[in-house]
Amino acid sequence: RRARVRGCGAAMAALLEHESQIFLELFHRDGLAVCARGLGIDRLLLRFLRLYCEPASLVLVLNTSPAEEEYFIDQLRSDGVVHLPRRVTNEIANNTRYEFYTQGGVIFATSRILVVDFLTDRIPANLITGILVYKAHRIIESCQEAFILRLYRQKNKQGFIKAFTDNAVAFNTGFCQVERVMKNLFVGKLYLWPRFHIAVHSFLEKHKPEVVEIHVAMTPAMLAIQTSILDILNACLRELKRYNPVLEVEDLSLENAIGKPFDKTIRHYLDPLWHQLGAKTKSLVQDLKILRTLLLYLTQYDCVTFLNLLESLKASEKAFGENSGWLFLDSSTSMFVNARARVYRIADEKLNQKGKVSEKRDVKKENELKRELILESNPKWEALREVLKEIENENKNSDNLGGPGQVLICASDDRACAQLREYIIAGAEAFLTRLYNKTFGKDEKAGEVWIKDRKAVKSKGNAKPDIGPQAKKAKLTASLKQNKHKKQQDRTIIQMIGKTEEEKREEVEVEDNKELSSSQDSTEETIPEGFDVNLPSDCYYGIFKDPLTIIHPLQGCGDPYALTRVLHEVEPRYVVLYDAELTFVRQLEIYKASRPGKPLRQFCDLFFFSTCRVYFIIYGGSTEEQRYLTALRKEKEAFEKLIREKASMVVPEEREGRDETNLDLLRDARPASASVDTRKAGGQEQKSVQQTIIVDMREFRSELPSLIHRRGIDIEPVTLEVGDYILTPDICVERKSISDLIGSLNNGRLYAQCISMCRYYKRPVLLIEFDPNKPFSLIPRGSLHQEISSNDVTSKLTLLTLHFPKLRILWCPSPHATAELFEELKQNHPQPDAETAMSVTADSEILPESDKYNPGPQDFLLKMPGVNAKNCRAVMNHVKSIAELVTLSKDELSQILGNATNATQLFDFIHLTYGEALAKGKSKK
Amino acid sequence: VSPQRGNPVLKFIRNVPWEFGDVVPDYVLGQSSCALFLSLRYHHLNPEYIHERLRGLGRSYGLQVLLLQVDVKDPHQSLKDLAKVCLLTDCTLLVAWSPEEAGRYLETFKSYEQKPPDLLKERVEQDFLSRMTDCLTSVKSVNKTDSLSLLSTFGSLAAVVAASREDLSLCPGVGPQKV
Repeated sequence: RRARVRGCGAAMAALLEHESQIFLELFHRDGLAVCARGLGIDRLLLRFLRLYCEPASLVLVLNTSPAEEEYFIDQLRSDGVVHLPRRVTNEIANNTRYEFYTQGGVIFATSRILVVDFLTDRIPANLITGILVYKAHRIIESCQEAFILRLYRQKNKQGFIKAFTDNAVAFNTGFCQVERVMKNLFVGKLYLWPRFHIAVHSFLEKHKPEVVEIHVAMTPAMLAIQTSILDILNACLRELKRYNPVLEVEDLSLENAIGKPFDKTIRHYLDPLWHQLGAKTKSLVQDLKILRTLLLYLTQYDCVTFLNLLESLKASEKAFGENSGWLFLDSSTSMFVNARARVYRIADEKLNQKGKVSEKRDVKKENELKRELILESNPKWEALREVLKEIENENKNSDNLGGPGQVLICASDDRACAQLREYIIAGAEAFLTRLYNKTFGKDEKAGEVWIKDRKAVKSKGNAKPDIGPQAKKAKLTASLKQNKHKKQQDRTIIQMIGKTEEEKREEVEVEDNKELSSSQDSTEETIPEGFDVNLPSDCYYGIFKDPLTIIHPLQGCGDPYALTRVLHEVEPRYVVLYDAELTFVRQLEIYKASRPGKPLRQFCDLFFFSTCRVYFIIYGGSTEEQRYLTALRKEKEAFEKLIREKASMVVPEEREGRDETNLDLLRDARPASASVDTRKAGGQEQKSVQQTIIVDMREFRSELPSLIHRRGIDIEPVTLEVGDYILTPDICVERKSISDLIGSLNNGRLYAQCISMCRYYKRPVLLIEFDPNKPFSLIPRGSLHQEISSNDVTSKLTLLTLHFPKLRILWCPSPHATAELFEELKQNHPQPDAETAMSVTADSEILPESDKYNPGPQDFLLKMPGVNAKNCRAVMNHVKSIAELVTLSKDELSQILGNATNATQLFDFIHLTYGEALAKGKSKK
Repeated sequence: VSPQRGNPVLKFIRNVPWEFGDVVPDYVLGQSSCALFLSLRYHHLNPEYIHERLRGLGRSYGLQVLLLQVDVKDPHQSLKDLAKVCLLTDCTLLVAWSPEEAGRYLETFKSYEQKPPDLLKERVEQDFLSRMTDCLTSVKSVNKTDSLSLLSTFGSLAAVVAASREDLSLCPGVGPQKV
């Protein structure tokens, strides 16, 4: 083993100093590593993966998403690893899976499959080298992964368990969260690597990228709007607290309200008692959400989008007559005024224009009246343009550095990116006008035409400075523009986008700058006429210019590693952060630090790296800045708390479960931490018979099987045709969550399930399981109608019990309670047999006492038209078999059924031939 | 329908008529169904009460409902116990969270007494072919394609039913099977 460590020590050179330190620590002793966001937890995992990518070891990776798996596999492939990790999916047949596992290597597996494989011994548990757990903060007691780890530890005492997470904040909720998670992970060591860890800090300090922070002042109007929104937010929060004094106050501060996870926090507090809240509180929560969106829009997007949102809010208010208090506050009025002022001059000026009262105004105003639209451009855009100019200037002198450096612009989401791109290409005014026309254009079209002309001329003038960085292309584009401007303004812009889109595609193929000019001509001709503005949202936005510029969204793309990938592909020299995000800043640091270590240096000189410059555009003193700082502080606090907890943590020696003393592994009836049942603490004698419950394969998505197993009951996973859980030979349980229940009551599935359960088991049970996080109640308070309606859940449930008097219903508030109940129900009963349970299908023997009639033909009869539950018995009493039934005449039928129409229906149904039916069907159509 | 004491649930039985009468269960809902009403708060005070009532009731009704009104804060433990009791005494447990809801259950039991279970069943298209398919597939080992091929070979249901075993196994895709 030692040799291998040394062997990979060489390969580890690519790891950063602190990373290799974490790696070694974690390698020698199992543990839970908590890193700061963006500090390369994925790189760490990747390192471990590479280490174990060999047939001699068998390593399972839990809790990864398909996109992440894809990323890791890709990375390893590019590293030239021979035995790539494989994925276990349901495509691999049950019987071949054992072989699959024994082939070794790293395996990504879905938890559901793993659980079943562990339970059925389909996986060679004793051969597993170890398990790596990603996103370990999600391992709570009842989840599948914890179940897997428990099963693994029971069967394998030697293998390792190493867990990774970069979400320190998640440990901050609840009491002793870290310790609980560690207990579930069966690890005894906690490794904390915050950003302020001495090793990390000093290391990154050495490789600090050059950071230029640009604090942009907001325009007065924006500032005013922001203050009013904050005012309103504050008022709403106060109201909320007034109505719900029970709420924990400290978390509902204004500062938190700005931060991102606020919605979640508030739901977290309110969910359990949601049904008890008054309408007022609910609407307040709704308002808070809207206000937060407004705040985001204010800094993120342009003035037009913001106003549009605001106006639509007001309009919907009027339309629905909803009464959210905040719209009537003083602050909101000022917000509206300011928002409008950002887009156009005060409203009565417009009136002036229409009402021809403009003579009263002085001449200067007259001048401005012509412009009507102000269209305040986003200050950040200005800053961005300046930055781009600066970069361009530098690029001009950079020929000796091996060509111009690439630029990466990062904004928060797709919309912002699209806007930015349009801005860079078209310039602020043209863009805003277009937006404005789109949103408000309809009612002002008349006065708009000449303005448009003016704008066209203006933006032509603007075109050059705006498109500044496009050094070579500028002239080309300008001339192109002039042609197009004679047509409609809108279209020009759309086509230009079309063009850049085209170019982007080429960019992928042709990395070389020189080919630009040659490809230029071809693109001009191939402009599709109506190129859609809506671009594929998942891809990054590239603008191919002299220096390659790429705008990339920070969030909202499907691939969590897209950014990292882009970083490594593009190798930008300049990074402009249009919106601040914690993770990405860290990622940049790591990226920066990892560069010098790579052999890239051979063809790029050192200077290249030292100029990797980060521009940080942020509104000074705005909520945006506040949000960023709050996120930083939160993480820091979380780490500090973790450190304190670590210091005071008592880790029992047997925690890792390598010997027999770990209590968690002893699956006795006493619950480990949750749901304490004191009545049983008196130490029951373990029965000599091992309790067993047969569980349907499909049930492994829920957490119940894990909890049952925990209580010392063996689980046999099989595919059941009838029921979900077989507790005893008599008791068969169908589990339904609330949404399931409603759904299957409506589509008839539950009815069919009940029929078969009643037919084959003495005690069929319907288990209604509630979500422990939601209120324990079937229907929300106050939604009870005056009349009995056949659509209510209660009515249907009643009907169900009426028709299945044998069916028992269990109401369980949580899976924990269910597991407990199951155990008690099983006491003093014989164990079920998997073989018989599996063979329970419609063919098997039915309970003797159930019916004197054969259920098969009975079903058959009931499905025929004209036969219903009432006359079915009459038919069965008179007719021996279906074969006899079809020989009866219409008269005989009506005698049996006691109804002529029914008889005709039935008779026709039996005797109508296929050909006739087809003909009928066709004539109908 | 006949309970014995004035209780809050009665206020909410509005859609069906009711009357007082001398019966063993709290509510007699129909010929073969009855209900006992229990409030959890009362159960906590008198845990023996429900056992006595259940014992008194015996097994005289086809459907015995224990209507439980949850009106305490932490119902889980007693809910579990009652669930067990119900399983042992052949009672169906229904849980309501308010007297309104409890009343609604009772009303519904009465008014749905004669209702066929069609509401719970899967909706079947009314045209001939889909009904026929539905009918034939209720026989085990016949699937949708089989039912179509059966129908097209034999012409009508009458012919399908009358067909002999050999005829059926000649049908494509069916093989040696039986109706």
